[in-house]
This record gives sequence, C-alpha cells and structure tokens, in this order.
Amino acid sequence: MQLVKWLGVSLALGAGLAMAQDRTSTLIYGGDWTDLITADPGVSYEFTGGLVTDNLYETLVKFEGTDLSTLKPGLAEKWDVKNTGQGWLVTFNLRKGSKFSTGREVTAKDVVYSIERVLAIKGPSSFLYTDVANLKPGSAKALDPYTVQVALPKTASPQAFLNLLTFNIGGVVDSEEVKAHEQNGDWGKAWLTDHSAGSGPFVLNRWDRNSQVVLTANPNARLQPKLKQVILRYLPEPQAQRVALESGEIDIAENLTPEMLKAFGSNPKFKVYKSDNLRLRYIGMNAKEGSPFANPKVREAVRYAINQDDIINNLLLGNATKIQTIIPKGLLGYNSATYYTYNPARAKQLLAEAGVPNGFEFELLTATATCDFVPCADLAAKIQSDLAKVGLKANIKQIQNSEVLKIYRAQQAQMVLVAWSPDFPDPDGNATPMSDYNAKSLAYRNVWNNPTAAKLAQQAALEPTPAKRAALYKILTELVLKEGPYAILYQPAQNTVLSVKVEGYVRNGQNQVRFENLSKQP
Amino acid sequence: MATGYRLSLWVIDMFAYLIRRLFFVVFVVWGVTFATFFISQVVPADPALAALGDNAREDQIKEFRERNGLDKPAYVQYAVYMNKLLHGDLGQSLRTSRPVIDDLREFFPATIELSLAAFFVALLIGVPFGVIAALNQNRPPDVIVRILALLGGATPVFFLGILLLQVFHAQLGWFPGPGRLDPYALTPPRVTGFMTIDTLLAHDPRTFWDSLYHLVLPAVVLGSASAALLARMTRGAMLEVLSQDYIRTARAKGASNSAVILHHAAKNAALPVLTVLGGLLGGLLSGAVLTETIFSWPGIGRYVTTSASSLDFPAVMGVTLLAGLVYATINLAVDLLYAYIDPRIKYG
Repeated sequence: MQLVKWLGVSLALGAGLAMAQDRTSTLIYGGDWTDLITADPGVSYEFTGGLVTDNLYETLVKFEGTDLSTLKPGLAEKWDVKNTGQGWLVTFNLRKGSKFSTGREVTAKDVVYSIERVLAIKGPSSFLYTDVANLKPGSAKALDPYTVQVALPKTASPQAFLNLLTFNIGGVVDSEEVKAHEQNGDWGKAWLTDHSAGSGPFVLNRWDRNSQVVLTANPNARLQPKLKQVILRYLPEPQAQRVALESGEIDIAENLTPEMLKAFGSNPKFKVYKSDNLRLRYIGMNAKEGSPFANPKVREAVRYAINQDDIINNLLLGNATKIQTIIPKGLLGYNSATYYTYNPARAKQLLAEAGVPNGFEFELLTATATCDFVPCADLAAKIQSDLAKVGLKANIKQIQNSEVLKIYRAQQAQMVLVAWSPDFPDPDGNATPMSDYNAKSLAYRNVWNNPTAAKLAQQAALEPTPAKRAALYKILTELVLKEGPYAILYQPAQNTVLSVKVEGYVRNGQNQVRFENLSKQP
Repeated sequence: MATGYRLSLWVIDMFAYLIRRLFFVVFVVWGVTFATFFISQVVPADPALAALGDNAREDQIKEFRERNGLDKPAYVQYAVYMNKLLHGDLGQSLRTSRPVIDDLREFFPATIELSLAAFFVALLIGVPFGVIAALNQNRPPDVIVRILALLGGATPVFFLGILLLQVFHAQLGWFPGPGRLDPYALTPPRVTGFMTIDTLLAHDPRTFWDSLYHLVLPAVVLGSASAALLARMTRGAMLEVLSQDYIRTARAKGASNSAVILHHAAKNAALPVLTVLGGLLGGLLSGAVLTETIFSWPGIGRYVTTSASSLDFPAVMGVTLLAGLVYATINLAVDLLYAYIDPRIKYG
C-alpha cells in the first residue's frame, strides 16, 4: 500500500499540481461524444455535431433560452416574409460589423455561399433545404452586401424554413476561407471536418477523436464568451463521468443514470439541470385492415390501459414529461392535453365494444437497445404487463434496431415501441410525418390514412402567422390523439449535472447550449 | 569448415521455415477477412438504416447503398473489397466516411501504449510472485499468491476498473481519473500517437509524467488477469524445474541457493512462460475494449465497439485484419525466440 501511495504521490509531483491551463477560464464538459463525425455545419446531423457547430457558427435567426417558438435575431437583425402569389420571398437584413474568426466581415455573399454549399454537398441534412424548404441552387440571392433574399415555392412552409435555419445547417461559413481550402471541388468539406471558419463565439482549436474537442474563444466574435476555452472530454461510460465529476476533473457531466442523478441531486456541490428533449417515446399500432388494431376503439383501449404515470415515476424515476399529443413540449403547437387517464375498466369496455372482449395475442417489436434511461426490454415488459391486465397478450420480440426499423418501414409491424425526434425544430417535423400517410413516414408505417389529418398538417405547415398556425395544430393534435395509431408514452428529460461553480448553463429542447453564456467561479 | 557448413544449413532451415510461416500468415489473414465478411452477411441488420437512422428517406437510403456498394450481391462486395485490400486500400468507414486506415492510425498507438504498459505490469507482478510462491510451496506466501492469482483472474475488468477509479482516484486522490492526460494539460502536437513519446518530443517533461501517471490504473486493470495467469504459470514451471535431477546435482555440488534459482532454475522455467507471453501480449492488444471504455482511452477497442454497433463493416474488417496480423506476427516472433532460447528445438 505504501508503495502504491509513494508511486502515486511521486508521479503526481512529477506531473505538477498546476497544469498548463487556468482552471477558471477553461471549462471541461464530460460526455459520450462518440457520435461526433464532423464539425462541418453543412454536413453534421448528429447531436454532438450540433452542440459543437452551434458554438462555432452563427445563424441568420436563432432561438434564445429554452423557447423554441419565438425566433430571435442572429446574423440578421431583421427579416420579413412576403407572399408573392407564386411563392414566398424571405428577406434578411444582416447586421453590420459581424466578423468571422479570420477577421473578415460577414456579408450577404457568405450567406448565399453557405446555402449553395449545403445544396451542393448533399449531406445527411441537405434534405431540409431541398425537400422541406424546396430550395434550389439560385434560390438565395445577395441583393447588396447586407441583404439576402431567399425565394421559396408555394409548397414550402416559410415558418419551417426560418425554424430550420436555427439548426446547424444554417451556420454561415467564411466563403473565402472555405474556398481557399477546397480540394477537388469538395466545397471545403474535408477541411471543415476538423477546422472551423465561422463567426460564432468559439473556434475549433483541435479535435482528438475519442479523446477531446477543444474550443477556444474567437477574438473577433460579436458575442464574446466569458470563458477562454471549453473542452468536450470524451467519457463514454457513465460511471467514469460520475467519478470524474466527483473529483473535479470535469465540470459538467452529460450521460448519468437516473440513480446517479438522484445522488447528485442531494449533494450541495452539484446541481442537476433538467431540460426537455424533443424526442417522443411512443407505441405505434398498425391500423391496416385485418390488423387487430384496425378498430380505433382497440387503439383507444390501449391508451387507457397503459399506466403512463407509473412508467415515468417508477421506471424512469421522474426523468420524463407526460405527454399524449404529437407535438413535443417546447415547440409551437404543443398541446398539454392528457385525455387518457389510466383506466383498465374503460379499456376492457372499449375492447368489448370493438368485439374482442377476451382480447387477443400480438407481437410487440422493440430494439435491443436502451430506451432513454432503461433497457427497451424493461419498458416493453412494463407495457406488456399493463396490457395483460385488460386481456391483451403482447409477445415481445426484441431485435437489432435497424431490423425493427426495416419491419416498421415496410408496414409489417403489429405494434412497435420506438421513438421519434423531429428533423428540425418546427412542429411540422412531427405533424406531417405523423399525420400525412402520403409523406411515407410514421402515419404510413402504421397504415393510418386520414385525409382530414393530412390536410390539416399541410395547412398548418404553410400558415405564415404563428398564432394561426398554433390554432391549426391544436385541432390536428386533438384529432391524432383520439383517432391516430399512436400511444405516446413520454418525452424524455435531458439531464445534466453541473458543479455549483458553473453558471449560465441553459439547454433547449434542440440540445443547444450556448457556451458563450457559461462561466465558472473559482 | 564443419561449423560453417552447419551454420549455413541452419540459415537455410530457418529461411525455409520463415517462408512457410509467412505463407501461413497470409492464409490466416485471408481467413480473417472471409470469416468477418461471412458473419457480416448473416447478421440480420441493415447498415444503411443503422447509419442513417429512423428519419432517413427512401432516396437517402438508396443513395447510401449505392455509394457504398451495398446494393450489389455479397460475392461482388467481397471481390471488390479484396481487390481494394490487395492494393492496400482498407476502404472507408460507413459511419464517419473517413478512410479506415486513418482511423487505425489514429487509434492504434493508444492501444499499443496501454497494452505494453499492461504487459509490463503483468510481468513485474506475475513473474516475481510466481517465483516467490514456488520457493515457498504450500507455505503462507504461496497461499497468498494463489488466492491473489485466483482473484486477479476472476475479477471482471469492468468491476476492477470502476473500483480502482473510485478508491484511488475519487476517494484517495492518488491517481488521476479517466483519459490519457489531465483535462487541463496542454496536449502535445500529434507525432507518433504515443502520448509518452509525443510529450517528450514536445519537450514537455511535466506532461510526459502526467501521461505516465495516467497509464498506471488502466495498465493495472488491463494487466491484472495476465499477471494472475503469469504468476500461476511461473509457479508451476518453477516447481517443475526445482524437482529436476540437475537442480539436486547443482545443490549437491554446493551451489548457493540464489545461484541455483537464478542460473539453473529460472532459465529453464522461462521456456513454458515465454510461450504464454506472446499470446498474452496479443490478447492485451485486442482485448482492451472494456478497459478503454472505462478509462476513456481513445484506442482501437473503443473504435471497434462503436463501429460494430453501427454495423460499420469496413471499420470492423480493418480492426480484425489488424488483430489477425498482430497475433500472427507475435506468434511467429515467439516461436523464433523459443528456438533461440532452447537449442533443442529445430525449425521444421
């Protein structure tokens, strides 16, 4: 033991107590960042990619705080949407004096270049521009150095377009810098994978894959950060995160288990930050003719039979929000109605009315993965036991996630336990996939073809006025709630544990954290 | 004259042996590619859906399959892969779109560094403990070593890792937490990928010590099972040798105890131990998955787990090929070394 201590202490002295960086101006953020594959805002479509690029690049418009329904000025100080009859014209007025990390001013040509770049690269997120906003090369024009005009066809939703600009895809790159690093006509894609050329509060200093991402304050940024450096330290294992947080090696931990959260919650040296994720965990029921769930009364019975409160409080230890409608909390159109209260008797009655008083047997498909905080198998078992109480016998089939998706997408599943996150922070990211059969997404997979719902979704998507849009979504969400093929289970919380020394941490449902607001007390 | 003749015969023998063995290595590597490919084909999973996820549109999936050749029949995919491999191209990762060779280059040095450290830990602990146990057969030191060896071999790496981190890092603060360097340390420019070497190249002795310091706990965790095995092997081999006639003869001739152990027993006992050493090093290099996960070590083990879970076939293939090569090379090296130490063994 003495030897171990001697070895440890002597090495510690060798390593030196004061390391090279100042501890109050550098923040260490621990998490599982394995999904980071690029820091290019035009390509990145993963969670960590978003977290990083949001702090390297500015967008024309953005959300502030946790509100994802009110757009705020970003690089554009003003914008307006005009209906031309043939389509929409969205005009952005850029603020003067915003500078890239290179010192060049952000101008309209950079904005146009950034949009053209996304269209040309055809990355995983390009469909947001091509399919959702219906943009084409040439849709965006620089009218003068500080004015950009984007033309959208009638079929595109101007509100959805503005909302998706807040996403990393909307990040504006320094066109001259990127052009200088272009290789074989790749629009600088290879270089931007691990370099940055933005006007955000930070620059990408270095990325040691599976080890750390070092972001350093951008001296030219309009939004000056309080910290000099933020380091994302890869700690894929929750136990390792817990230990590192306790010993002060990291200031924030991202992926702790519900049990650990509980323990940190009662420790005065730490604080737990809870935010809503835009993800919905739900059960999908195949409404195809001949399927046991074709009868809407059977689907209602399932919704009455599942004890949501029990799942949230006992299985997830409270780390989720109860929700029954299809637009997650945080977005415009969110409907807090909880129409179905746990009622097995009512469920049995509905099954009797549907002509299946003794229930039936079917397959419940789920992935061999973790569903938010618990193994999917545990969640499926809970659903199975709830449904058994009303006579519905679910046979759980647990297979690899991509196989679940394959069966589900081919309309071959009877009942699935899966999750959905919108592609971009706009209610249409859920409304159309979940209501419009012809969108070939969730309504299609569950063979639920309801023309009223589809029409409402389209109408709401194209409505330019937020208040009118919200009113349409209220009608739609209530319709899908009662007639749709889903039993929405919950919206998982996103929990982060911070040292009490850390201030200014705010995370929205899109998982954006503005590092420029973070500070650290000594 | 006679000696020269014998030497040249020996060289010819060894050369022929090497050629045979190298041919065998090629065969092993081909077998590895075939087995990995075959498994990837029978696993019921779709790499396109795994890479693109739930929200992917049909045209995106189609485009992904075409771009990565997944739309072609399996034998064509295999032929294309092997053709590229023969030209030294390991392909692109499906998950990161990065050349697999770049990923291997990035992650393998960290694994080698950790494995070598674990290997030394295993040697430093396993061999002396085995010798001590053998010299004190059935007495308390032997019993203690045997219990420790049993524990070391039976404790799951995951449990041991968390335990050591909790006790020696979080509670006592004697050793640093997960990772290769202190979070606040200035990471040296990447030259070799070996943190200990890169810190020295950057003339940063303080960070060099820090990198060594960070190696201790993961090396102990990774090396513990090997240390236990080595202790048992060494003990057994020593006991075997100590009961031989020539040891009794040496003692009868009046050789001191230490001379008997060092000159007569140890060298002969080293032979069986040496055979397991190679296998151990190979095992450490390819078996560091859990240790790398707990200690957030950016090595090949973590890379292959992430790749496998996203059905990234070219990446998994790259790692299995590398592991196959490492094993085959180490085995060859051990066999050559074995014959060098024991003149009774001939190449053939």
